[in-house]
Amino acid sequence: MLLRESAQNEATMPNLNAVTDDQSDAGVPNSQTLRQLSESLIKGEWDTLALEREKATATLGLQQTTDVLTVASAFNGITRVADSTGIPLDDTTAAATDEMRKNTGIEQFEYQQKSSRYDSSG
Amino acid sequence: MYEGIQYPLRDSLKLAHTQSWEMISSAGAFWTGKERVAIVAEARAAMECPLCEERKKALSPNQVHGEHWGPGTLPDALIDHIHRIRTDPGRMTKSVFEGVMASGISKEAYIEATSVINASVIIDTMHRGVGLEPPPLPEPRPGEPSGEINADAVEDGAWIPILDAPKEISDTGLPAIPNIVRSLGLVPAAGALFFSTFRPHYALTDIPLSITQGQAEFVASRVSALNQCFY
Repeated sequence: MLLRESAQNEATMPNLNAVTDDQSDAGVPNSQTLRQLSESLIKGEWDTLALEREKATATLGLQQTTDVLTVASAFNGITRVADSTGIPLDDTTAAATDEMRKNTGIEQFEYQQKSSRYDSSG
Repeated sequence: MYEGIQYPLRDSLKLAHTQSWEMISSAGAFWTGKERVAIVAEARAAMECPLCEERKKALSPNQVHGEHWGPGTLPDALIDHIHRIRTDPGRMTKSVFEGVMASGISKEAYIEATSVINASVIIDTMHRGVGLEPPPLPEPRPGEPSGEINADAVEDGAWIPILDAPKEISDTGLPAIPNIVRSLGLVPAAGALFFSTFRPHYALTDIPLSITQGQAEFVASRVSALNQCFY
């Protein structure tokens, strides 16, 4: 949500529905390449990643391909810090993104909702 | 680190990761260098743990019980946390955190472990990203934990006390110090380790990379969604 709030300041703001909907156009250049490259990395699909890296290099070039992987790597770590600490949304972000969270399905990731889903079925 | 790389990774990032690896090998505030390296080893083992694999397939991870596969040199509750946050972060709940607390591990030690785990996640993921194997574990260095904490940390809605910071909104639309940056603030060395690893990868504005801010936000948002992260 931190970065989604930031994205709202951008002239080239991504279509946030594309975050959770694979069929939506993200509205940023080469979004399909960005999606496939980062997904294969985060899912640990190394053979697919090797192929996606080659395809991305042909489309984006070496530096942009590297930078996509750079951002994806960082968020593979920082999301886990958030999930380990139960850190709440910043107040302004919570207020500004209420409708978007519901529309995109992100609300289901809220900590209390996760506890209700998983802790009660142990 | 990153020897033989075929991709143009920035020197500042390579240097930061090398320094983070050295920091992990040294005593922190609550864990020795040997224990911190063991935390990284356990996080890596989690990726091949049959129990974690079974849990990922289950409707709820809490339906599946057993022993984790790995070095097993750390307290059981911490091992469970490490494996869950490494392999299934989207279904991490407060009850896991409370289990670690109930085992006698302090909030401060938990925060430091969280920093070590996730700094290593970034470094290992970056290596995989550019087609390299994760780096060998660092050799632990001697030394005793400092015990240093931030006595001014505050309760502000997280599971643990966090950095006290003003909430004025910056031109990013966020507080100058967002909650995620405050999250490890109870243990300054933990925050320093994680964010010195993270910073060369991303910026909220004027991102110093060859992709646009919008592209970076899309990648970051997509990774957050894949990891089912609410924040």
